Amino acid sequence: MSAGRLTLTVVAAVAAAAVGGAATWALAGDDPASVQVTAPDPAAAAQTSFPDLATPSEEPELAGLREADPQPGNVARVSGPFDDRIEVGRLSLRRGAVTGRVLVTSDVSDVLELQVVAGFYDAAGRYLGSGRFIHHDLEESAHTGEPDEALEFEIAFPKGVSDNVRSAAIGVPFLVNE
Amino acid sequence: MRIRTRGIAALSALVLASGLAGSVTVAEANSPGRGGHGDKDKIRNVIYLLGDGMGRTHVTAARERYYGAAGKLNMERFPQVGQVSTYAVQTNSGQPGATDFSPNLVTDSASAATAWASGVKTYNAALGVDAKGKVKPTIMELAKTAGLCTGNVSTAEITDATPAGQMSHALLRGCQGPTYSASACQNTAVTGAELPTTDVRVTPIAEQIARNGTADVILGGGLARFDAADEDALEAQGYDVLSSPASQTVATEDDLAATHGRKVFGLFNTGNLTVEKYKRENPASVQAEEPSLPEMTAKAIELLTKSKSSKGFYLQVEGALIDKRSHANDAAQTLEEMRAFDQAVAVARAFAKHDGHTLVIVTADHECAGFNIIEKGSYTNAEAVSPPANVDAGNTANNSTPSRATSGAKDPVRSSGIVNGAGSVDPNNFGPATFRTPDDPEGVADGSPDASLWLTYLSGNHTGADVPVFAYGPGSQALGGSIDNTDLFGIVGRALHLTR
Repeated sequence: MSAGRLTLTVVAAVAAAAVGGAATWALAGDDPASVQVTAPDPAAAAQTSFPDLATPSEEPELAGLREADPQPGNVARVSGPFDDRIEVGRLSLRRGAVTGRVLVTSDVSDVLELQVVAGFYDAAGRYLGSGRFIHHDLEESAHTGEPDEALEFEIAFPKGVSDNVRSAAIGVPFLVNE
Repeated sequence: MRIRTRGIAALSALVLASGLAGSVTVAEANSPGRGGHGDKDKIRNVIYLLGDGMGRTHVTAARERYYGAAGKLNMERFPQVGQVSTYAVQTNSGQPGATDFSPNLVTDSASAATAWASGVKTYNAALGVDAKGKVKPTIMELAKTAGLCTGNVSTAEITDATPAGQMSHALLRGCQGPTYSASACQNTAVTGAELPTTDVRVTPIAEQIARNGTADVILGGGLARFDAADEDALEAQGYDVLSSPASQTVATEDDLAATHGRKVFGLFNTGNLTVEKYKRENPASVQAEEPSLPEMTAKAIELLTKSKSSKGFYLQVEGALIDKRSHANDAAQTLEEMRAFDQAVAVARAFAKHDGHTLVIVTADHECAGFNIIEKGSYTNAEAVSPPANVDAGNTANNSTPSRATSGAKDPVRSSGIVNGAGSVDPNNFGPATFRTPDDPEGVADGSPDASLWLTYLSGNHTGADVPVFAYGPGSQALGGSIDNTDLFGIVGRALHLTR
């Protein structure tokens, strides 16, 4: 037996063992010619309503933001659903805003969406209000500059209470990176 | 349970062995009735495998890396080979031939997925809608409506563009969840004004997937996109939920092996699944408990073939990390992801060979990063002091301006060594990555100038190059030659009698 013939024989046996011997994949019991498929109405194929789904009305929030109670002069972190994908640094509270840097650490070819929410507090730790940083990368303008896995953010103090802000807390409720 | 897991792994390994050794001749593969029942031309099933970002060079490089210059990947053993154009269109464009047709020559994964899933050109970032925002049904939705079983497998988040393209309709691919965001979901450039949040096109993709039942078997990553309400919705439809969105507990390969449900929801990572290279180098890690793409493919087929009364199945399988590592110009991981994808191809082909009524299609959505193989010892324009001459400077009839009289030379600043070798610490290095192949003498190492496979990248982004398509089984003849990515919708639709 030639080497090539031997290879074919061995391979055929291995393939048969893979699908037949393991009995993992079942062939359909019906003769396929007898199982008719009728082309469905395309207009009815896509589900376009979800009656049981609650209708959202606000941007994503983070549980615990109102109760964060950071020490005066500090910027605390509030946990979010994507914390295992980011590093947050350079947090600062100055000149009427909280600033910082979010580094996306997983699978970054593009950061399509990033939101950072900030809560602001007075000297007694009372919640005064919130602000939001939104990064929205339209595909049409994607990939035209430096890699954007690191995004700097700045969120201004809420109007009307800015003189009372003594601390802040931030978190990331929404991130889409690829 | 562990034994069962090994069973799946062993199954995949056996199939791999069969595929890699090349047991199928062209004549054999063109005999669609082999192993099946009755009507030899009847197509019951389609397995559609998508290598995200997989250009022709990705295929060639993986072949040379793992099987040598004279070897073949499993996909390359398929009898039908063609090429697919992938261009997208601009927002609000008409379809090709319309007076308002406005092409965008480089697609993203969302537009490409919509092309083959729904048969229309659309703008980059759109899913399941045309370029004017109209909802278009997908092949998987049509298959489900017609009574076929359906499966969607990916190494990405299951809300990512390729899998989502079959199971959702969204104006913007970033509208993934777990919660709604106007900036991520609304696209007033298409709709004029913001849509009510009850409109499917601005409903987070995760919420759609959890409620529309489009896919019976859902395997991949992205658990962080789903929440407790989604878990309730899945369970209400009868899914065996292997991974808990409520507790954010991911599933493992043991969980996958143990399930026998007809509807299964299994996500194995909160984000994308882990690259094969990491799992191989860290076998004791949590990530190593994630199933591989060939394992998920084998299990999906097992689950989709459980119903003897089924009219057949449609299964989509995505090797997503080929693209993600190509964006990063990470040739080592790209190659390992290519190998895992090709092993999934072997699983599909083994089933199709046994079944005889299954069309297997292997293709890509776009090329990523301008991957190229350069001659050993040579260099690219990006490494040059000035780009080499690209015109015949001495012949005015042949040249264009400006011409360069010299070919330049390698710039030691921009080319400081092989990036997976001596130049690995230099972030500004444009040097190639080098890999040994089975043809190289023993002792030749990856990252050395002696390795024969020299790989380079043009960029970190998608390119507009056509992508390859390989097909096996009944109906595969339709995939030969040059086609457009929207043609894939009709080919699959007609094969399964889903479109007229």
